[in-house]
Amino acid sequence: MSDTMDRPQQPAAAQTTAEASATTDAVVATRSLTKVYGTGDAAVKALRGVDVEIGRGQLTAIMGPSGSGKSTLMHIMAGLDRPSEGTVSVDGVEITGLKERDLTQLRRDKIGFIFQSFNLLPMLNAQENIVLPLTISRTPVDKGWFERLIGIVRLEDRLTHKPSELSGGQQQRVAVARSLVAQPAVLFADEPTGNLDSRRGEEVLQLLRQSVDEFGQTIIMVTHDAHAASISDRVLFLKDGVIVHDHGSMSSDDIYDVIRSLEGICPADADGDGQGRTLAAELCAPANAAPEVVATATGGRDGDGAGLRAER
Amino acid sequence: MMRVALRNLWQHKLRTSLTILAVLLGVAMISGTYVLTDQLRSGFEDIYQSAYKNIDVVVAPRPAFGESFEAGLETLPDSLVEKVRAVDGVTAVNPSLSALGVLVVDGEALQTMGSPTLFFNAAPEVLDSVTYYAGSQPDRSGEIAVNRDAAEANDLGVGDEVAVGTRNGAVPVRIGGLFDFGSEGSSLGGSILVAATSDDMRDWFNLEGVVNAIEVKGEGEDPAALAARIRAAIDYPGATVKTGRVSAQEQTQAVGDALDSVLTPALLAFGGVAVLVGAFIIFNTFSITVAQRRREFAMLRTLGATRRQVLGTVVAEALVIGVGASVAGLFAGLGVAMAMNSLFKAVGADIPVGGLEMAPRTIVIGLAVGIGITLVSALVPAIRATRVPPVATLQEGAALPPSALSRYVPYFGGLLAASGIGLLVLGLLSAGSVTDRLLQMAIGGVLIFFAVATAAKYVVRPVARVLGWPVDRVDGSAGRLARENSMRNPARTAATAAALMIGLAVVVFVAVFTAGFKSSFVDAIDEMAKGDLIVRTQAGGMMTTLPAAAGEAIRRVPDVASVSGIGIEQVQIDGDEVGTIQGIEPSDMKQQWEYRWLDGGSNALLDALGPDQALMEEQLAITHGLRVGDTVAVTARSGETAELEIIGEYRDPNLFAGLTVSYAGWDRLFDQRDAVFYLVSADAGASVTQVQKGVDAAMADYPQAVVETKEEYIDSIVKQLNQFLYMLYALLAVSVIISLLGIVNTLILTVYERTREIGMLRAIGASRSQIRRMIRYESVITAIMGGVLGIVLGTVFAYIVTTQLGAQGISFTVPPVQLVVCLIVAIVVGVLAAVLPARRAAKTDILAAIHYE
Repeated sequence: MSDTMDRPQQPAAAQTTAEASATTDAVVATRSLTKVYGTGDAAVKALRGVDVEIGRGQLTAIMGPSGSGKSTLMHIMAGLDRPSEGTVSVDGVEITGLKERDLTQLRRDKIGFIFQSFNLLPMLNAQENIVLPLTISRTPVDKGWFERLIGIVRLEDRLTHKPSELSGGQQQRVAVARSLVAQPAVLFADEPTGNLDSRRGEEVLQLLRQSVDEFGQTIIMVTHDAHAASISDRVLFLKDGVIVHDHGSMSSDDIYDVIRSLEGICPADADGDGQGRTLAAELCAPANAAPEVVATATGGRDGDGAGLRAER
Repeated sequence: MMRVALRNLWQHKLRTSLTILAVLLGVAMISGTYVLTDQLRSGFEDIYQSAYKNIDVVVAPRPAFGESFEAGLETLPDSLVEKVRAVDGVTAVNPSLSALGVLVVDGEALQTMGSPTLFFNAAPEVLDSVTYYAGSQPDRSGEIAVNRDAAEANDLGVGDEVAVGTRNGAVPVRIGGLFDFGSEGSSLGGSILVAATSDDMRDWFNLEGVVNAIEVKGEGEDPAALAARIRAAIDYPGATVKTGRVSAQEQTQAVGDALDSVLTPALLAFGGVAVLVGAFIIFNTFSITVAQRRREFAMLRTLGATRRQVLGTVVAEALVIGVGASVAGLFAGLGVAMAMNSLFKAVGADIPVGGLEMAPRTIVIGLAVGIGITLVSALVPAIRATRVPPVATLQEGAALPPSALSRYVPYFGGLLAASGIGLLVLGLLSAGSVTDRLLQMAIGGVLIFFAVATAAKYVVRPVARVLGWPVDRVDGSAGRLARENSMRNPARTAATAAALMIGLAVVVFVAVFTAGFKSSFVDAIDEMAKGDLIVRTQAGGMMTTLPAAAGEAIRRVPDVASVSGIGIEQVQIDGDEVGTIQGIEPSDMKQQWEYRWLDGGSNALLDALGPDQALMEEQLAITHGLRVGDTVAVTARSGETAELEIIGEYRDPNLFAGLTVSYAGWDRLFDQRDAVFYLVSADAGASVTQVQKGVDAAMADYPQAVVETKEEYIDSIVKQLNQFLYMLYALLAVSVIISLLGIVNTLILTVYERTREIGMLRAIGASRSQIRRMIRYESVITAIMGGVLGIVLGTVFAYIVTTQLGAQGISFTVPPVQLVVCLIVAIVVGVLAAVLPARRAAKTDILAAIHYE
């Protein structure tokens, strides 16, 4: 029962690395991604041509109403799902054509995940859960990194506890630490605050922010939570399978308004306060205008929004 | 509610079919047993009806004891034939002669695999029970006819020159006819039938002046009236006069009773083990699915379903499975019957069979057992389902509320263990009939199984920790996770392992028991037989014997120092049960046999052994309460009796049980000195190989003789025992297969339950192969747990039983190889059981971990 099965050669697509990284410092790049579910009359187009490059060391939020294709986009970028057309590269590796075995290797080497439901293994303690990715790939634990990590997630005195003995926030912090322990090239977070109250959610968001700022971790986060998106360096809005807006850092109010507009609800024009609604008003005016990058540098990380949620 | 049940079963087709299969196999074993024994019964019925089809009345010797079908070789004086012939209304008479002999083709005695080679005289045509399809009835000396099966099996045809082995040596003969016996499609088993002329029969088998039976044809009147007249005319108390019809019925009945007292319960026991294992699987499967469907039950409750209705859905599911499995099991029983029959054939027990039939009794019992066991096993999980509170709709998790009685479970387990051990010991020590005692022991064993299964969940964690250690070391992540997984739900792991435990415990019990028997048997021969060679007959039993003349022939071989013949017969002792009696020549035996004397006896007892004395084996002394100095009355089947004074006691339960008398005493009971064995020793310094060759040559006239050294003899006995053992293993394999299905079922349910977890593992980099290995290790850990428990339990059972039976010649011997093989079997079961679940787990969609419910 050797482990050779799990140790494939480096992915064959390695030679494309130079090319990809030469053009830009994108960790994840997609080209003309489309995804169609089903066939014939029942065919549903989840993605209709997505071109996006995710910069290294950035926290990028993907937002959009239900059915906008944001989850599909993340799944494809993470190699969990395959596009119908188009290509994805992750850290310079073209992943679209990879075999299952190489995808597994890619997940080990380059990708981390944080799930909405913490998905910890109940029979392992916190420490064992955190180092699980390393155990699976049989990589020795980097002691220094591990110590630093658990310091950041404040789990020093909880390491021997089983998940059932941890609070929800602690469990999610374990999940965050687990996603960072292998120092992935990119970390995908799927609704990381979805199962937490606002205070715990805030803790997790701060951890994500910290990991970007301190370690230069690249994070792609799918969220419904305008506040969660407001800590991001960049917010992508999807609607009907295309990116309709691509902003730099935004305030949660702006985000909220964009989402409302995408759902077809325009703000009442003259509600008097006249601040911060200009963006939304702009969006609403030319309905379904061609996507335009509005790189407003609003210094969006105001952090005061107490968990304002677009869909809750 | 029934619809919910059916939908649920249909949605989980694989699980449903595995569960059905688990019950089905047990039911098939039970119905197969009945089908097979019915087949055997009808096979014998066919034989007897064919044998008597042309016979109106038969005058037969009345054996002093025993069943009439065991007799047939007793004789009547031939003076009765003329008396019968003179009776009014008798049109034809056949003075029937029969004997056991050997048919020799190309110098080789035909092996009959335990069935007899029966010689009989060609009867007058109106009374003949066989039909010639080639050639004709033998009508001159040196001519025989044989039955179709024997002819076809050995490629014999009319005109072929063969030989027959008789009491007076081998005689060359020519085949003059081939005949059919019995109705088409029925089998005689491996029996060989040989017809010869009456004169030849008399010469070959020393049947001068006697007949084995007198078969009579009347004028077509009521045979009963004819029988009454004949009875009055001959007025001979040593004979019975019956109509052919009654005779056939009685003999069929006797065979049926014999089957019902030995074979049927033995086979049912194996079916019972299979059903028991199936019960565990039903229990476990339902326990797991009920736990997994907790929210569904809660939802039904919030919608207004009563507890009774929730109970109803689960019971309905069990009912559907039980009915489906039992019906299918009944039909599968037909296949099982055929398989068991070929199994018997493979180990040398070729038994006559009739056509396949399913008696109403078989259907009723099969359905009752299958449906009953499913419902009973599903009842506890069903009751637990009713305890799910409606609020559970909103709760995560698959844990059921503990039942109100759960804290009594350990006490209940203790009670089970205590009563199980109690019954086991009672069965061993009580004085009841063998069947009752075996039943007590079996029920005791079953209770102990339940007790161990109840207790097993407390040892799952420590045991899994130990068993999982090597995989943890060898295969880091997958091994580690498997080890932890197997400890996650101890009750589930315990119940899954328990199913395998039962099958393997019985296997180990049988293995240890047989090893004990084998070693004590081998030890006994090794220790007591002083000679160099053992001459026996092919059948190895009492079916065929070697006449005294064979002993004389051996004695004439150069360099043979001494020869001792041993006759073995059945007698009735003190008008009581049937026992064995040995006839020996004391002076010869002294040189051949090292008796283990008891009660201060010595070889001097052999010198003192006169025609009125006997020696007894220890077990006879115990069972009959006899002591040295007592006198016993012994009756032979022929009716001859003798009073024998017991002058000594020895221990030899394996070889010479019962009584031993000198040939002088033997002659008082039997009219021949036929031997079952001849023990031969060579002159000091002579080459044993040379002597063996010489004896072999001297036995040319006795084709049934096999000349072996002591070691060869032991080998052939061991080989026979092993064949028997393999047959038992084959029957027990069904239980092991059922427990394998149980492991598959548990794993499939577990994989389903852990879909999200497995998806997560895949997402964070676990390969498909790692997931497969994880499941496989968990399976193997569970299987080894069952294996170890089974091996320990089986060994303990065997220890208890053999120590109690020590005096009956069975010692406690642990066969290390077999135990290791059992463990390997457990591992293989684990690996096989994991194949399908592991594949499913590896296919788990990673998105499953991300999708939220």
